Amino acid sequence: MERIGNGGVRHTLMVPSDTQHLAEVREAVQSVVSQSAFPARDARLIVLAVDEAVTNIMEHAYEEKRKDHLDIEMVLAADAAKFEVVIRDSGKRFNPDEIQGLDIEEHVREGRKNGLGIFLMRKIMDEVSYKFKQGVQNELRMIKYVGGKTEKPGRPAG
Amino acid sequence: MSNEFSIGRQNAPNGVAILGVKGFLDAHTFEQLEEAIDGLFAEGIFRIVVDLAGVDYISSAGAGVFIGALSQCTEHSGNIILLRPTESVQEVFDLLGLSQIFTIAKDPNAALAAF
Repeated sequence: MERIGNGGVRHTLMVPSDTQHLAEVREAVQSVVSQSAFPARDARLIVLAVDEAVTNIMEHAYEEKRKDHLDIEMVLAADAAKFEVVIRDSGKRFNPDEIQGLDIEEHVREGRKNGLGIFLMRKIMDEVSYKFKQGVQNELRMIKYVGGKTEKPGRPAG
Repeated sequence: MSNEFSIGRQNAPNGVAILGVKGFLDAHTFEQLEEAIDGLFAEGIFRIVVDLAGVDYISSAGAGVFIGALSQCTEHSGNIILLRPTESVQEVFDLLGLSQIFTIAKDPNAALAAF
């Protein structure tokens, strides 16, 4: 973890694309949000949102080989009121925007489990965005603000 | 934090099985719970209580185990009851809307009486 120029905190880690490393990721997120101004509940949910994002990538981006890695960069703003995480991988393209909203009753009725993670990411974080560079890298960015963001341009309703 | 995970089983009256789960229920550990529940189904047991008092953390992978199990239980006139979830686990159930769908019990007697 390092202090950055404007007084914020940056923490980066690289983890193999294997779910056995999820606990390590959660610990890293916890170490950052514990320095933030987020209430305890929001801090827990940020850990969950990052876990869900990383899990999705581990399970979808590298379905056939688990030898690659994910790069995770977290930045806590100087006022400790904004948490940003960027997760980069070079696996299969996966855009969370392509997953439709969740009807939990239908999910339970059909015994379906897919889409829950993305639903949680969107519900917890104030901004979720995705960039894809063909054959190079995917980049998932999530941001959460203490107290929420008053303006959420570009976010779909519901 | 560690990723230690364990599942214990107790038999209760009226064909109920109680699974006591400890640790983190995430995408790395959920399959163990799934296997334990599938094992109960193979024994013809569809009345299941999952004691979550020892679960520090749950992600959607863990919640998905219960979603996958519920319909099988109810199709066999049973149920899967979630017993004393911790605050953080309850938060995840609330976010997913599962608190309205699953029976959540605060103590073992209430769980056993819910069938």
